[in-house]
Amino acid sequence: MFNKILIANRGEIALRILRACRTLGIGAVVAYSEADRDSLAAQLADEAICIGPADARHSYLSAPAIISAAVVTGCDSIHPGYGFLSEDEGFADVVRAHGLAFIGPSAEVLERFASKEATRRLLGAHGLPTIPGSGMLRDEAHALEEAERIGYPVLIKPSAGGGGKGMRLVRTAREMESAVKVSRSEAKAGFGDDALYLEKYLDDTRHIEIQVAIDRFGNAIHLGERDCSVQRRHQKIIEEAPSPALTDPARQELAERALKAVAEAGYENLGTLEFLVDARGEAYFIEINCRIQVEHPITELLTGIDLVALQIRIAAGEPLGITQADVVCRGHAIEFRILAEDPAKDFRPQAGQVGAYLAPSGPGVRMDSHLYPGYDIPSYYDSLLAKLCVWAPDRSQAIARGDTALREMLIDGVVTNIDLHRAILANQVFIDGKVTTNLLDRVGSAPFVAAGNR
Amino acid sequence: MAAREEGAIPGSADASAAQRLRRNHDEIARLADDLLPALIARLAASGLGEIEVREGGWKARLRMPAATVEARRTAARAADAHVRASAHAVAGPSHSRSEERDRRLRPEPEVVEEPGLVTAKSPAVGIYHPRRDLVVGMRIRAGDRIGSVNVLGVGQDVVSPVDGVIGSSLAESGEAVEYGQDLVRIELPESAAEAGPSELAGLAGLP
Repeated sequence: MFNKILIANRGEIALRILRACRTLGIGAVVAYSEADRDSLAAQLADEAICIGPADARHSYLSAPAIISAAVVTGCDSIHPGYGFLSEDEGFADVVRAHGLAFIGPSAEVLERFASKEATRRLLGAHGLPTIPGSGMLRDEAHALEEAERIGYPVLIKPSAGGGGKGMRLVRTAREMESAVKVSRSEAKAGFGDDALYLEKYLDDTRHIEIQVAIDRFGNAIHLGERDCSVQRRHQKIIEEAPSPALTDPARQELAERALKAVAEAGYENLGTLEFLVDARGEAYFIEINCRIQVEHPITELLTGIDLVALQIRIAAGEPLGITQADVVCRGHAIEFRILAEDPAKDFRPQAGQVGAYLAPSGPGVRMDSHLYPGYDIPSYYDSLLAKLCVWAPDRSQAIARGDTALREMLIDGVVTNIDLHRAILANQVFIDGKVTTNLLDRVGSAPFVAAGNR
Repeated sequence: MAAREEGAIPGSADASAAQRLRRNHDEIARLADDLLPALIARLAASGLGEIEVREGGWKARLRMPAATVEARRTAARAADAHVRASAHAVAGPSHSRSEERDRRLRPEPEVVEEPGLVTAKSPAVGIYHPRRDLVVGMRIRAGDRIGSVNVLGVGQDVVSPVDGVIGSSLAESGEAVEYGQDLVRIELPESAAEAGPSELAGLAGLP
């Protein structure tokens, strides 16, 4: 086991990792940027060290600064948290070259799963369905032929694009010819590359992900799924487990297929496989996250397993110590991401100083947050203030506990999305468990914001 | 290491002073924000050598640059005690509201330090080595290399931010230092110090 871990992250996850270290009896050093000097993690840590200025490129994203901090403080390992360098195979490699352990998959594993496209092909070859698509389109006739094979509606996607840029939805064959022409010239102008391909367009999808844990001895378990369909512009807002969209046999089958594929493909450590599930219940693999995830607490609430501690133990070369039979999911859990952003003003990020602050509590309530009264929220980083997680024996009770806790929560001094959460909880589509990833973007957040202001 | 450990061990002699400081931090904040700038301006205009103001349990004394080295040391000790007190206040896991007020004072120790005190700071996290010929009293120019911080085998220069004279060292050779850590004091030369109010060797003293 490790003696001392450098925590190379900030906010609530730095605190979460610090807690795991203490539980395991491992020393910890919190690495912080100048803007985070007063952060709760830096204050609570036995040891903390400033690694650079507020600009993350010179602190949380600086491999030399982080590794040097680990070396001079006598750490033997580095926990990257999520975001920043957590899935950077180059960083993992350099960490190892300095005789330190990277708490996550090895550089080789990260590299194998680095490209989304290559990972889809790899896991497709190991039996996971992926979204049907074409190769690069030669001409309009080829596009028509491929679209016919895939089935309308289809998306035309520029090969050089990303993040949804330059995509065009085509619903019928009649539109195809002109759509390809326009897309080609747009791609040429926008990306300097006019290569296009087709992908099946999935209308009302749910985002469902499978949590896995695999040690270096090949022991592999899954820890069920999480449903992250409540999103705004591809950002998750509410996550819950188990998914209300899957039957028990379906959830078990999906989890087992995912685990088998990723284990066969040589994955190691904690990981999450993300799927889009369409209205008919067909699941398509989209990507893998090779890190601890923001929404991991709901899995912890269901299973009683400390995922960060498990991740640390796997990275230290220990066996899982549990088998699939030991993983029992009980009840229902929901996570609410409390963000410093104003839903009434196009979700603009907010900065400011926290005034009065009260974290909710009570049966089945867990609050992961780095806030405290008087805390200055730095404007340099993401807007996540807290993760409110609730657990109850069933979904309706979990919703009730969530609403009770949201009402109790007090964060003065900065505008948050607490009311938006309450409005979503009160919405019939959510109560019925029928939220799809496009809901908030399609109906807009205005009805929810208005409801929240009652 | 560095900042945190230092803050976590207040010497017993400092402890009572630290507690007094903590109780009075609100006062200091008000002094620093409202009183000091006005006092500095008035002292500069007055031609007087020294101004002292008492308020509550506190007094603030500002002196023109005839200030002795000893006065500077006192000021620096006051600043150190201040930082220790506030660092200590947040060491515990729970925070009362008054402690939070203390803590927020920490990033602005410069208002308690003498305005004339300047330091060369660490450009990175690593192992500090002063240049071999570095001695107290040595004249240096802004940008001159004072030493280096070794980051994984690559040296990063520590440079003086101003023209001045090398003062006391704040870190040992071979010591692990963090980003932004004060490494060497730079005393401003007398000629520059005489120039005007910006070089005031001000002092917010202990009661």
